[in-house]
Amino acid sequence: MKTISIDHLARVEGNGGIHATIDGKVVTDVKFTINEGPRLIEKLALGRTPDEDVSMSPRICAICTCSHKNSVLRAFENAMDIKITPKAYLLREMMHMGEFIESHSLHTFYLALPDFLGYPNAIAMAADYAFEVQIALEMKHYGNHIMKVTNGRYIHGENAIIGGFGKWPSREEMIFIKDRALQFMPFVQKTVDLFCGLEYPNSPNAETNYMCCEPGSGKFGFWGDEILISTGETVPRDDYKSVTNEFVVSHSFAKHSLYQDKPFTVGALARIVNLGDRLEGQAGEMYKKYFNETWKTNPFYHNPSRTLEIMYAFERIPGLVDEFLKLEDPASVVDYEVKDGKGTGLVEAPRGLLIHHHEVQDGVVSYVDIITPTAQNTEDIERYCHVAAQ
Amino acid sequence: MSKNNDKKLKIGIYELTGCAGDGLLILDCEMELVDIFQAADIQSFLMAKSDNIDGELDIALVEGSVSTEREIEELKDIRKRAQVVVAFGLCATHGGIQARFSEEEWQKNLKEVYGDIEMSHTKAVHSKPIDEYIDVDLYLPGCPVSKDQFLNFLVRALGGSPPEVYPNPVCVTCKYNENDCLLLKGIPCLGPLTADGCGAICPNHNVPCYGCWGPAEGANFTSEFYLLQEKGFDMEAIKKRMANYSGTKLQEFFEKFKKESQ
Repeated sequence: MKTISIDHLARVEGNGGIHATIDGKVVTDVKFTINEGPRLIEKLALGRTPDEDVSMSPRICAICTCSHKNSVLRAFENAMDIKITPKAYLLREMMHMGEFIESHSLHTFYLALPDFLGYPNAIAMAADYAFEVQIALEMKHYGNHIMKVTNGRYIHGENAIIGGFGKWPSREEMIFIKDRALQFMPFVQKTVDLFCGLEYPNSPNAETNYMCCEPGSGKFGFWGDEILISTGETVPRDDYKSVTNEFVVSHSFAKHSLYQDKPFTVGALARIVNLGDRLEGQAGEMYKKYFNETWKTNPFYHNPSRTLEIMYAFERIPGLVDEFLKLEDPASVVDYEVKDGKGTGLVEAPRGLLIHHHEVQDGVVSYVDIITPTAQNTEDIERYCHVAAQ
Repeated sequence: MSKNNDKKLKIGIYELTGCAGDGLLILDCEMELVDIFQAADIQSFLMAKSDNIDGELDIALVEGSVSTEREIEELKDIRKRAQVVVAFGLCATHGGIQARFSEEEWQKNLKEVYGDIEMSHTKAVHSKPIDEYIDVDLYLPGCPVSKDQFLNFLVRALGGSPPEVYPNPVCVTCKYNENDCLLLKGIPCLGPLTADGCGAICPNHNVPCYGCWGPAEGANFTSEFYLLQEKGFDMEAIKKRMANYSGTKLQEFFEKFKKESQ
């Protein structure tokens, strides 16, 4: 019996390791350890006001801070029956697009691509792929720029607040975002062709269930009020616990989740498997061109899925800007009273389904439950590593 | 531009417990990133590269709080190898949002979140800033640090100078920016108490400062608290707000203030 350990996984967001135990020719166990310590975020906001909670909760993750922001805001606005204006709704969606572009371009070009091309990091690739590295950096920068314009800064912005926004961005800023989106499209097409055309390893190959938000109205999108499972079932947001069933394991400060005693996958591949046939425009054509049954059983296809979503975001942005600018300028935030209630907010973070459940009692936060994509994917990460190691 | 690697400053970037936002901010310097990697010899940066070396360093940037026993060992090892250790970001400088519980509250909450399960890979410890365990040479606060702050630090370090300090509270920049004062509108803004360096981003957006750079060193907290009391703010609420991002660094003040105000 021996154990092969990778103590620190490189080029991932976070601090984890993989440990495979091998007995002769059989892999008997694989453990995905999360080395970071516990932060007890769900306890931090107790006794605090909802707005303090909205400031603190997104600090869980720098890379998907806007997803956390949108999720916690949806939870509180559901809890306190607050309806934001259509204009604020569009800006929240724009914020989400910025994060997807930033996170997905970081993940695909910086974190994943060096492995497929044989480099230790993305900067080292610049010697041979100067153009690609340069434009990919600009694409990531553009995603960050959108988050700055909408939410105030790249990481942990605070402009999105309960009831809307602190301040509207200017017309000029929004038009700049639209123009840049159109300029990027040729490179976005190249990105999709590059990642969909790469040869991925055949293993691991195994079936799983995929889960994501049901955006509704037959559309593709990054949030909703129901969870859609690849079996065809849907689960209302308030019943989220019946899907995730979080539990603690002894080798990870990130919890694990099982649906009907089985591991499941969330993230870009889950969204493309469940919702890809709803993609329109160029992204729809690319889905028809590249997606096939092999994607459904191999987690390497998260990367081409991410590029389809980059394309979706770039195609969505010009319309979002047009709709936003057509609307009159109401107050950027609606008036509301803090009142008691319980609310759940579902969104898709770049790495998958993100659930925030927050409760208010006597004007302060009384209960918080946050289920991150990683806590849902951990079981499948271990299972797929097991298959691959074998 | 490209110097011999032997002569470049050897820099290591390390992440303990946190959101990884300060390391991410380095990657967010998209337009400067190629130059950064050419000007310095980045020996270790787990989030960005796979050929990491744990050797002697000129500068170690450490982000995150110390929250496991394994991290205590890692941190001590980094201290041994590095000439200069920089606490990089609020979790490293102050302990971050996760550091504000008392030992007792922390034990209780840990049990409520993780039950009685003993972790096999490492043991959790109450989150603390890195200077609770090692000597720290420089502090760059912020949740996250700002891009200007990081680039200024790096350029100065390459030239052998210490980083720029931000002695003022957020209020100073906020006034330069000609924002309407939120406190005068009755909105609990922590601008007078919080270290500047963010550029007063929140008040620029009509959003009150939440204190995410930690307490300003030069601020007169006692006087400010009495002033806020006079203005009719709920002092308990203000203290709670201020504690959110102060980690372990304001606890003494709160104890002193509690005695004084009784």
